Amino acid sequence: MIADESELDELRSAVRDFLEAKSPEEAVRKLMESEPRYDPAVWAQLTEQLRLPGLAIPEEYGGDGFGPVELGVVLEEMGRALLCAPFFATVVLAAQAVLASGDAEACARLLPGIAAGATTATLAVAENSGSWDPALISARAVRDGEGGVGGGGGWRLTGRKGFVIDGTTADLVLVVARTVGGPSLFAVDGPAPGLTAESMETLDATRAMARLTLDAVPATLIGSDGAGGRIMAKVLDYASVALAAEQSGGSRRCLETAAEYARTRHQFGRPIGSFQAVKHKCADMLVQVELAEAASREAARLAAEGSPDYPVAAGVAHVACSRAYMFTAMENIQVHGGIGFTWEHPAHLYFRRAKSSQLLFGGPAVYSERLLDRLGI
Amino acid sequence: MEHDMQAFAAEVRRFLDAHVAKAPDRTAFTWGEGDDSMAYFSSLPPEEEREQVRRAREWQRIRYENGFGWITGPPEYGGRGLTPVHDLLYDAIESEYDVADTGTLSVIGLGMIGPTILAHAPQPLKDHWLPAMYRGDAIACQLFSEPGAGSDLASVTTRAVRDGEDWVLNGQKVWTSVAQHSQIGLALTRTNPDAPKHRGITAFLVPMDTPGVEVRPLRQMTGGADFNEVFLTDVRIPDDHRLGEVDGGWTVALTTLMNERATVGSEGAGPVAAALSPDRLSALMRATWTWDDRALRGRLAELLVDVLATEHLNARALRKLHAGVAPGPEMSVSKLLYGQNLTKAAHFVSDVLGPRAIADTGQWGTYAWTELLLATPALRILGGTEEIMKNILAERVLGLPKEPVTTAAKEVRH
Repeated sequence: MIADESELDELRSAVRDFLEAKSPEEAVRKLMESEPRYDPAVWAQLTEQLRLPGLAIPEEYGGDGFGPVELGVVLEEMGRALLCAPFFATVVLAAQAVLASGDAEACARLLPGIAAGATTATLAVAENSGSWDPALISARAVRDGEGGVGGGGGWRLTGRKGFVIDGTTADLVLVVARTVGGPSLFAVDGPAPGLTAESMETLDATRAMARLTLDAVPATLIGSDGAGGRIMAKVLDYASVALAAEQSGGSRRCLETAAEYARTRHQFGRPIGSFQAVKHKCADMLVQVELAEAASREAARLAAEGSPDYPVAAGVAHVACSRAYMFTAMENIQVHGGIGFTWEHPAHLYFRRAKSSQLLFGGPAVYSERLLDRLGI
Repeated sequence: MEHDMQAFAAEVRRFLDAHVAKAPDRTAFTWGEGDDSMAYFSSLPPEEEREQVRRAREWQRIRYENGFGWITGPPEYGGRGLTPVHDLLYDAIESEYDVADTGTLSVIGLGMIGPTILAHAPQPLKDHWLPAMYRGDAIACQLFSEPGAGSDLASVTTRAVRDGEDWVLNGQKVWTSVAQHSQIGLALTRTNPDAPKHRGITAFLVPMDTPGVEVRPLRQMTGGADFNEVFLTDVRIPDDHRLGEVDGGWTVALTTLMNERATVGSEGAGPVAAALSPDRLSALMRATWTWDDRALRGRLAELLVDVLATEHLNARALRKLHAGVAPGPEMSVSKLLYGQNLTKAAHFVSDVLGPRAIADTGQWGTYAWTELLLATPALRILGGTEEIMKNILAERVLGLPKEPVTTAAKEVRH
């Protein structure tokens, strides 16, 4: 299903109204310091009132069958509001990993719970280095019964994972671990025996992360043995576009906040926005935001069309939005001056989210080469 | 509206298919083959330039005869009476075809001076010049900038003094594109030096063959001469060639400047498209053995993100046009990025070339890039400097307040 422009506008305003009511700054600040790092009541309303978890899940698996364009609208709004919720981990990372596996049986078993908002989930790939490169994974998967552990037809996972988004609260953890066939995708129950999760202190407290320790944890193989590399390439493209939408929404919010302040704050008897030094800073932010929004929306459109240009566009969106968000978050503080550096002002929340998002999948050192790779250069 | 646009687009394609071929893919190339020119400014020898102008006039006549000569113009002057969105859509579709470059006629004359004549000229001037211009017979230039009036255009000092039924003009204009090909020029002159600067300007339509009009080529930093200086010495212009009121010329100038607009989709034309093509840039890195230089690869990725994201911005503006929606700030943003991206590309390539960019080794596709490098400073100045563009974006899109006008700035300096 593809929504037209007016339906997208409707979706945007419904999500914005919901988030303005349910995720104002006070709520974000409260949740930043709570465990769990989200409000289960708001998560339930997000499902009941707006059906958001199932938005981009195919109808045959209980979702509404929309795609990355519609999901992008929702993520722009969530990024704008800094919503604390397991949405990105569940709907983007986990659901897309299951879909990318092409494993129909796993899709039928796992996705309806996600679509109904009943299951929260996440994807555990990175280990100590934080790298999402499947080639660097050392967590091991062995068949049940091998090495004298357990019995039956399943698998057992052993190793450590880090940077797992919402890892302490997820009902379902998808784990990439190495078999003799190579990196492979597995499903693990949140409360499975042998699995322990501890919160990591994070630069961006609105996005919870955990360190997982797996000690012969029972797991189910998703997709074929050794398919983890292929699945992860798809998931990274999709997640880059989804993250880009969040970043683009956040960066537009920073621009709006800065421009509003520049219009109203007076120094030397004039609004500071009438000084060219400030005015040009705001214009530079606008240019970056327009570019980021175009890159992210265009990548989502190409993804929805299954265009051959999509992987390159995903790389472009990831870099353009990472850059734009960091730039606008930084310059927003500069336009605000001293007040922008206080804990009470929300500017630092965006600064933290911007830097954390930029580095989530490896940061500039990794994403430049990934883009050149997608371009065949 | 969307349906109307589809019908219009189909009509445009039928017209173009009947008259011209599709443009070849300008980004496709084989290293070492063909023309390696990277010139942004044409800088052609005079006879070639005259031939180019002849082809431009010829194609404009064909457009005019088929109802596409002046898409937004009123039918009584040969126009089509459609919207600016139709006009932009036409340009975008035409850029897919191999047509004569009509920039000499269209950028200044048809795009900016024509609408100004329509809005402000006396009836006989409209009846005579508008059909002539849009039929491709007359070329118009803009006698606006002066050595002392650049970004602050309202401080022009070229004098016009009343003498009976005539006015006598004296002064110097600069950066006048296409003046050497023009039949008419729209001149901003100072008629009241004692009034505040915006209220002492009068606009005239100057036939370029009037005695006292002297066009001299202006050699720019690339070495070519793509602009002119125009000297006005005792140029006698009848009062019936005045546009707007006496001392009301700033309103006329604003009409001209409001019609300066970026075009969508036409940036893919010419050597510039090659400069920004990932294939071309990566081929250059292979040819210069810089392929695996990590620092250069990082910069290449950064550059390509700017270039490809700008393409996405343009593609989205274009899709809005097809749906009959006027694009928003992305048009001004795109103009700003165009200059910035080409500048970054030229410097990136120079750094890849290293010594090959300081002396011509004769190797194909290397020293030729210096033509682009030397042109790029202009892209951040012409048609409104980067600084003025940023003021406009911040004031019109973000609603930031204008700079307060100081007393000193209100006076005209002579």
